Amino acid sequence: MIWRWGIFVWIAAAMAAAFLWAPLVPVLQETTRVLYFHIPAAWVTVIALGWSMIQSVLYLWKRDLRHDDHAAAAAELGLLFCVAATVSGSLWAKSMWGSYWNWDPRETSIFFLLLIYGAYLALRGSLEGDEKRARLSAVYSIAAFVAVPPLVFVVPRLYSTLHPDPILNASGRVDMDPTIRLCFTAMLVGFTFLFAWLQSLRVRVSRLERRLAT
Amino acid sequence: MPSDGSRSWPAVWAILRKECRSEWRTRYGLNAALLFAVASLTAVTFAAGRLPDRPDLLAALLWIVLLFAALSSMSHAFVRETEAHTLLFLRLVASPTQIALGKLGFNLLFLLVVEAVTVPLFLLLTGAPPLRWAAFGAVLGLGTLALAASSTLVGAVIAQSRNRGALFAAVSLPLLLPVLASGVAGTRAQWDGLPVAADARLLGSYAVALFAVSLLLYDHLWEE
Repeated sequence: MIWRWGIFVWIAAAMAAAFLWAPLVPVLQETTRVLYFHIPAAWVTVIALGWSMIQSVLYLWKRDLRHDDHAAAAAELGLLFCVAATVSGSLWAKSMWGSYWNWDPRETSIFFLLLIYGAYLALRGSLEGDEKRARLSAVYSIAAFVAVPPLVFVVPRLYSTLHPDPILNASGRVDMDPTIRLCFTAMLVGFTFLFAWLQSLRVRVSRLERRLAT
Repeated sequence: MPSDGSRSWPAVWAILRKECRSEWRTRYGLNAALLFAVASLTAVTFAAGRLPDRPDLLAALLWIVLLFAALSSMSHAFVRETEAHTLLFLRLVASPTQIALGKLGFNLLFLLVVEAVTVPLFLLLTGAPPLRWAAFGAVLGLGTLALAASSTLVGAVIAQSRNRGALFAAVSLPLLLPVLASGVAGTRAQWDGLPVAADARLLGSYAVALFAVSLLLYDHLWEE
């Protein structure tokens, strides 16, 4: 309970600071604000997919269905945050590039991530039996994670993109106004805890559902 | 179960031969894939006409035709076993890794045959400019390897699900999109006279990573 209120107050404060206190980046102007939602959502997407993969490995190793609950919950939340990152990015693209969708390498790679999550959940839906579903979904999740580093880190650097530099850019430095950086980091932390809280809720629901079914 | 050591490769080889023989008896998968490739080629060339001066379009169309021809029937190596209830017998004589490696070899051969028919036909019908064979061969070969590795793993998973027919392409595609992206970029680059090394490296490392992860996962495909 205290966690929930803590996260709520933290994100609300960070959002207020981002809108009222942080300056605008000259080229981006008002669209600077999307930075505080879009990047944390993309960040959580990658964390969720990574967490889903780690839990899948743990499931294959330990054969404990609790790991499968974690893997499935992380994939569901990853899909949610991936949609949030895609939609916020698309709105930004409309105002900066003039169209909602341009198949820029960054847009392409996040869209591929959406498909991976979607395919994972579709696969889960078509497998019968807790153990079989957990085992085969884990196999797919681990194999699918092979696609993540090329999509997130290689493709956008290999092919020319109009997307602003990622946070860890080519020179390895973070070029940001200190105030923007503070608000942005606060949102990043807030989103990460939001994910952790939602994840714990989803896992608890899965456990209760299984207990009710048996 | 003979899962390792010196007995491994004869089992893989036996499964590969068995796959080729049972495919040759019915030729149902191969015929379907070739027919699909020719039909989609016809549709593409009919709709777009000859495109000798558009290597960007040619590269995209070639990979889409290849990918969809492969996806239309590459799950059948495993689905066939499930439908005929023969997987259990296969597992009595070989470990999951041996079965999967045998099927991977078969899928690789299957793709090469499909490509041997589709690619020349594509070049002929679209009036494509001459190929730089080494560059094109590298991109196509590495893409084929990645395609076979992914189809084998996903095929084995899908064969155990309910609506296998519809799901295979949907579940395979996300894994294959990096292959499609760099395959198209590499093919276009070789027509444009640009270096293909970066695309080939990406394709190669993706294919190797997919194959290495598959090797670790094959043993978990069947357990009951």
